[in-house]
Amino acid sequence: MSMRLLKFPDERETRLLFVKWLVALLIPVLAFTLWDGESILNNTLLTLFTGFTVEGVTTIGFVLSTVFVLIFYAVTFALAGYFLAADSGRRSMIELWIDVVIFTLVPMLLVILTTSLVVGLALCIVVWPIYFWVRKRVVAALHYAPPDPLDEVMELSPAQQDALKDRGRSGGFWFGTAFSLIWLVIDLVYLFSGGLPTPVLIFVILRTILFPVFGLLLGQLGGELALRRTLGALQKKADAKDKNAPAVDLESEIKSLSPTRAREEVKELVPNDQPMRSRGAQLFYLALLAAFVLLYPALDPLLFSFGTVGRISGFADAGYYVILALGLNIVVGFAGLLDLGYVAFFAIGAYTWALIGSGQFTVLTGLQVNPQVWPWLFWPVLILSACVAAFWGVLLGIPTLRLRGDYLAIVTLGFGEIIPIIFLQMDKYTNGTNGVVGIFSPHFPGINWTTFTPVPYYYLILALIVLLIFINLRLRDSRLGRAWIAIREDEIAAASSGINLANTKLFAFGAGAFFSGIAGAYHAAKVGNVTPDAFSYNDSIIYLAMVVIGGLGSIPGVIVGALVVYAVNQLILAQLDTMAADPSSVLHIVKVLAPTFTFDSIRNLIFGTILVTVMLFRPEGLIPSARRRRELHHVDQGQDVEVGSLDVPPGTPGFESEIRVE
Amino acid sequence: MSIEHTSSGSPATGVVTDALLDLSVVTKQFGGLVAVKDVDLQIRPQEIVSVIGPNGAGKTTVFNLITGIYRPTFGDIRLEGKTLVGLSPDQIVKRGIARTFQNIRLFNNMTVLENVLVGQHTQLKATILGSLFKPPRVVREEAHARERALELLGFFGTALLERQEEYVINLSYADRRRVEIARALAANPKVLLLDEPTAGMNDTETLEAVKYIRRLRDELGLTILLIEHKLAVTMGMSDRIAVLDYGQKIAEGLPEDIRRNPKVIAAYLGTASSEETSEEATKSVE
Repeated sequence: MSMRLLKFPDERETRLLFVKWLVALLIPVLAFTLWDGESILNNTLLTLFTGFTVEGVTTIGFVLSTVFVLIFYAVTFALAGYFLAADSGRRSMIELWIDVVIFTLVPMLLVILTTSLVVGLALCIVVWPIYFWVRKRVVAALHYAPPDPLDEVMELSPAQQDALKDRGRSGGFWFGTAFSLIWLVIDLVYLFSGGLPTPVLIFVILRTILFPVFGLLLGQLGGELALRRTLGALQKKADAKDKNAPAVDLESEIKSLSPTRAREEVKELVPNDQPMRSRGAQLFYLALLAAFVLLYPALDPLLFSFGTVGRISGFADAGYYVILALGLNIVVGFAGLLDLGYVAFFAIGAYTWALIGSGQFTVLTGLQVNPQVWPWLFWPVLILSACVAAFWGVLLGIPTLRLRGDYLAIVTLGFGEIIPIIFLQMDKYTNGTNGVVGIFSPHFPGINWTTFTPVPYYYLILALIVLLIFINLRLRDSRLGRAWIAIREDEIAAASSGINLANTKLFAFGAGAFFSGIAGAYHAAKVGNVTPDAFSYNDSIIYLAMVVIGGLGSIPGVIVGALVVYAVNQLILAQLDTMAADPSSVLHIVKVLAPTFTFDSIRNLIFGTILVTVMLFRPEGLIPSARRRRELHHVDQGQDVEVGSLDVPPGTPGFESEIRVE
Repeated sequence: MSIEHTSSGSPATGVVTDALLDLSVVTKQFGGLVAVKDVDLQIRPQEIVSVIGPNGAGKTTVFNLITGIYRPTFGDIRLEGKTLVGLSPDQIVKRGIARTFQNIRLFNNMTVLENVLVGQHTQLKATILGSLFKPPRVVREEAHARERALELLGFFGTALLERQEEYVINLSYADRRRVEIARALAANPKVLLLDEPTAGMNDTETLEAVKYIRRLRDELGLTILLIEHKLAVTMGMSDRIAVLDYGQKIAEGLPEDIRRNPKVIAAYLGTASSEETSEEATKSVE
């Protein structure tokens, strides 16, 4: 590797490319550093090397937060390399910079202004669609036609591939250099205005030397990852995978696909017009998100000065909604069975642990329960609850087998009502309206785990979510998953392809109920008590809303849908009255103008309006599966002419689909 | 009870072999309407048999009876001597009968490859636990299924192979027809039921379809039962033809005989014209 490669590029095009991406990445990185990154690092150093302490934050909390900050920088360095290598250079700088500001600075700003992570992010979900809409109008007004992504689909020569790698490497290096120099200047200002403690000074020096080096190494990594997504590399991978099958030329394959489908495939390729949206970049984002979620309990006290315990408890509560959404996704999203009574299985799961893991067990069986030993049973009972719920899922699915769509929904609705009432009426066993209290929290070696310690619950739900995502993915991409989707598409064709409708549907109900059983047991342990009125028809509808708004059939979609619906419904709408009572908040005007008005009374109205709005403008959901987006936006974006069924010549799909003689 | 017969004697020599698919006195009544009445039909291995008749004659109903979508009111349907009556459609697929539909019923929001993979459902053995843990056996099975799907798509040339990741709804009509046949082939059937495979196709596409249907019998050894409206296709391709009218079989035999059969001509054109036009009809269809 010669020093020549580390010289800032002199060809005008490449130089512009560097400027484009260095500025684009420096904006969010500097913003983050100035907001919190710097203070986290400096405080950690002070805590470790001097006697400095911050109330409410432990040393390990500081260390873990530092780990996150370093991961953040590492990912950005690698992304610098990736973007510079992957960009085709055809799109304008300004467009990119505005996108970056809206997607990185605006969330930070909103979170700071509202002093709440959840409210800030929820507002983003409002701001971003507005931005997209404005953007579309501006683009149309400027008569700006973005280049056709299919033009860039071509094999790269070895020389071009090397150029790509070099760009990645220098990109990382120059980004690291620029960043460390700017940070150095900022810290020099601090040094001359007030002096810096010694540990921080040493850090500044080390950082200024090391960041360019890390930039170089990580940029090289980013460049190589970009190289793996070129047409040539993907072709090699495809050839290796299908060695016994007839080989397909990827380039001609992509060019022969329909426009919408081709556009999906092109998002993965390098060179890319919008590398920020490419699949390679998404992996980096996911890594960053994973680090953030894992280290969040350590980060929270440093990002916000109070309310950590409440927030983490809230997230630990939201977690079970994610699991419910994932489970319902199997029934409604994959298999297309409209289930309006999903809360029934959640209740079954909750009561299973409630009846075993509390004093109620003594009432039922007469056996004494040792509070030191019994909570260990949580782990096997977690699986047991899931299996019991799955069993009932299959049982309650049997009457629905011969029913279609709406009728199936009514039967599930019925069961959704019956099950909680059974728990209410069986008061000899379930303690009726008063419910079961004193449910044990799980025991785990070395951890103090009660209903009031949210952090173990947070990590438990995280582990469960990861496990269930894995199960969901495995199911979706299997023989059974394909059968589910086939049933949803066309039952008769599915049966005529050899799929046993009854078994496959029952598997769907069982698998969905399995998930909710796990969520139920977890919820019973966390909240410590279960009562029949905690499970109502309303909840079933909320779960359905989570799945539909998130994106039917899409795994990331339903996760986001669950978080968004939880945030809006349980957090924001529930707290509107508290916020309005606070004289410093914007909502106080409402209280002043109409003193007898409460937000609580129109809470469902607001929620309903939000649901209707989302369905009108984005029926495919927030993060739709590719299938669903295509399904609901049927007209290809290239074609302008809407052809009615009677204008379509016979023998084409349009004709056949409208005029059907059965 | 007939003996299972696996030899492939020349299909058109008229040598008496045991029937692969045997319909005897099959009758289907929907309330007061008799859709199919006393239909007898024997299909021998590797034959191409066409079922023709005017619209509403009950041809698709016969297909639905064979594949288990309807249950015969009376009569028996046997495959290799074992009865199919009372079995569900998926069980009949497992026994070895696959079909395509008149209106092409593909899984619209799945890709070409996925449609053919669904067709292999009966050939794969992965259970729910196997799908979760993915032991080597399941991994191998999925890889093999994928290879087989690509092979089946390759039967029709490179057009479908190139479009393997395309959603079927974006394909041309002729391509969709081919995907439906590939999906049916994926079930490894002994008998293939094709319901109007050339409907809506122009002359070029029809000739191509005739070619690959013949190849299905010649290269893959399938037995084919065909519903077809285009007389040129039926006459040119079938070993034998059965004619239905108002739910009953009015004629059966070799193409040349059917062409001249007055009852057949009457069914299509009406009795008054049957004598006048019998000569014209003979000449025009040749």
